[in-house]
Amino acid sequence: MAAFDELQKHYHQRDLAARQWKKEGGKVVGYFCDNVPEEFILAAGLFPLRLSGDPWGDAERAGPYSEQGNVFSREGFVASMLHMILNGKYDFLDYLIIPHARDSIHRLYTTLINLKETESALKLPELYYLDNLHTNFYSAGIYNRDRWLALKKQLEEWIGKEITNERLSQAIAVTNESKRLLKELADLRVADPSLVAGVDALQIIGSSMFMPKKEHNKLLKEYLAGAGHLPVRNGARLFIEGSPLDNLQLYEIIESCRATVVAEDNCWGNRNFDVPIDMSADPVDAVIDRYNNKAPCSRMYPLSCRVEYCLRSALESEAQGVIFSIYRFDEIQAWETPDEIKAFKENGIPALYLKDQPYLITEPEALKTNIEEFVQGI
Amino acid sequence: MSEQSGDKQLRITNEVRAYQREWIEKTRQRVSEGEPFAICNGDDCEEILNVMDIPVIVINYWHAIITTKRMADYYLDILRERDYPATVFSMGLAVTMDNKPDMAPWGGLPKPSIIIGGARQDTEMRIMELWAREYGCTFWPMEFALWHGVERVPPPGWFERVRDHWDELVDPYKLDYRVQDHEKLIRYLEVSTGKKFSMAKLTEAMELVNKQMDYWRMARDLIAKTSPCPASLRDQLSMYQVMWHRGTPQGRDFLKAYYEEVKERVETGTAACPDEKIRLMWVNALGTPPRWGKWAEEKYGAVCVTHNYMGIAVDCYARTIKNNDPLRTLAARYMLLFWTTPDWIAAQAKHSNCQAIVMVAGRGTIAAYEKTGVPLAAIPSERDDEATRAALSDFIETRLLS
Repeated sequence: MAAFDELQKHYHQRDLAARQWKKEGGKVVGYFCDNVPEEFILAAGLFPLRLSGDPWGDAERAGPYSEQGNVFSREGFVASMLHMILNGKYDFLDYLIIPHARDSIHRLYTTLINLKETESALKLPELYYLDNLHTNFYSAGIYNRDRWLALKKQLEEWIGKEITNERLSQAIAVTNESKRLLKELADLRVADPSLVAGVDALQIIGSSMFMPKKEHNKLLKEYLAGAGHLPVRNGARLFIEGSPLDNLQLYEIIESCRATVVAEDNCWGNRNFDVPIDMSADPVDAVIDRYNNKAPCSRMYPLSCRVEYCLRSALESEAQGVIFSIYRFDEIQAWETPDEIKAFKENGIPALYLKDQPYLITEPEALKTNIEEFVQGI
Repeated sequence: MSEQSGDKQLRITNEVRAYQREWIEKTRQRVSEGEPFAICNGDDCEEILNVMDIPVIVINYWHAIITTKRMADYYLDILRERDYPATVFSMGLAVTMDNKPDMAPWGGLPKPSIIIGGARQDTEMRIMELWAREYGCTFWPMEFALWHGVERVPPPGWFERVRDHWDELVDPYKLDYRVQDHEKLIRYLEVSTGKKFSMAKLTEAMELVNKQMDYWRMARDLIAKTSPCPASLRDQLSMYQVMWHRGTPQGRDFLKAYYEEVKERVETGTAACPDEKIRLMWVNALGTPPRWGKWAEEKYGAVCVTHNYMGIAVDCYARTIKNNDPLRTLAARYMLLFWTTPDWIAAQAKHSNCQAIVMVAGRGTIAAYEKTGVPLAAIPSERDDEATRAALSDFIETRLLS
């Protein structure tokens, strides 16, 4: 399918659209994680680009800043992103928004602000730290609201004009359309039999963070229009829980074992788009409400919100088994896993726990054998 | 760990240890009579609990006790058996999961009525939440924590400004919310325990903290200018447990006694290591003496005379109350205690007449410290093994003795 080929191209050449945008005189805003309101960036007329790492790439430039504790934990994922910033891979960024997400992302910010002071020759984008709290209480919502409003103001300073409600409503319409289309994709995955491979789904979802949303929506519509011709997929239906997956390695191995990943709880997968924005409310309030109430990442309190979300997502996907894949040093994800496995056991769903996984899978055969055994047991 | 004979050990350290045992027994008795007891992380709310007469154990201290009793490996295995990450910060949870008071240090802790956890690290709130679940007690999530989202580059010489100019080093909008975070906790504690909070008592506690840290500074300064060093690093670090009673008359009195004993040693010429030839500063995260200390003393006369924890005590805890608002002053300290910057560590090393700083470090840290003018001995790990000794020997022989 031509549409899928185009989406796939942008998944693999993640800076392609942003560099083109820049070449045409636009400005690019890089960001980490899934809690930076891209609607504000779009409404400002800027290009939002979510930064990712490269498991096959080097992380050498991050080395000197990774030595005390597990500074860039999660086994290479964050170190890879820092390396790419320092070696010029993201040298086209005008601005970089770093949210208060996990510790490793915060440390990435402090490393960069220190480098800005000490290494003036280093070309770094203008940095913006987006603080937020990690509970879902009303008081946290008030604090987070102020931080998001401050971000909006900063964007207005960067572009030299106000972000109007009209522009914001238009941006929301575009991202909601994206979320709706991606939900249709999710429905094709959970259909019985499933119609979309997890490997393909990850690329389609991921490319929405690397290319203009309107263009992505157009291509995704074309892809969905042809979904009636997609071949059915047989084999075990699996749900994936765990560390951020910004690449295809794990899904490729899983889906070579007569299995299909029908859904996941991951900020590079379904969790990225599963809560739309209320179009009937004031647009600023609606964006803020969405980011306050979106699907929780593992850093959030309480544990029950994580376990319930994970279990519900898996049950809705009618998965026959769950694979937990946790990067080495991704402790916050590892702390919730025993409760989640227990919840699955109580619901009669078997789970495979892959601990201490590397960012770059260097022994795929051993992993495949492990997964094959699990799939055969389902 | 460096061994020391009885006559070299400071008397006050034994008094502190005895007091700690007495304190836990008294606390156990109070809890059995229905009084509240709390567990929290260090620098999250201890003064508030002390002011409200709610006994509290700080998780860092409890973990230090577990480690000192050589129980760490046992409890880390308890976590592994349950598929949890085996980390030092979760050892207290493991003691509770294991539920074997006969095995546990101090016979275990009394059942807390509340466990308070913040968002200082990814895992803190989760571990404390699970710990409260294990005990069947209330978990209170603090939305802010020490170093909450630090956004700025530490200004040079920040450590000389933090006592009197702390308001210039924290973000006011965060401080507003941090104060509210404490007010919510105070209100909950008042409702759930019937105990009252008093601003006057907090002011008194803050002044006691300042006095305690002043005694610490006076002792540190005596140690810094006296060679051979009058107090072993082990004894100096042992005094750190008084930190968990800061803001109380007892905390102040212990530090006063510590200062007086150090002064007495200086006057009588008593040395912890009489053969001192080289003075070193030891830096590590856990506040424990170097395991290779005795070897370095015997082979080179190289003595670790100070530690970064001494700098934390002396430079970072005292605060001048501003605008007659002790809670806001305290909240600011709970937001920013220190930055581990090379200029601060080097200033401590220079103050103590150290010829070098020793720490586990890689090339980025080495480069940053070399700029301070104090040589850095980078060792590969904290273990007392061949690799560590080889690195130290090489450094001492080529950088300090040549």
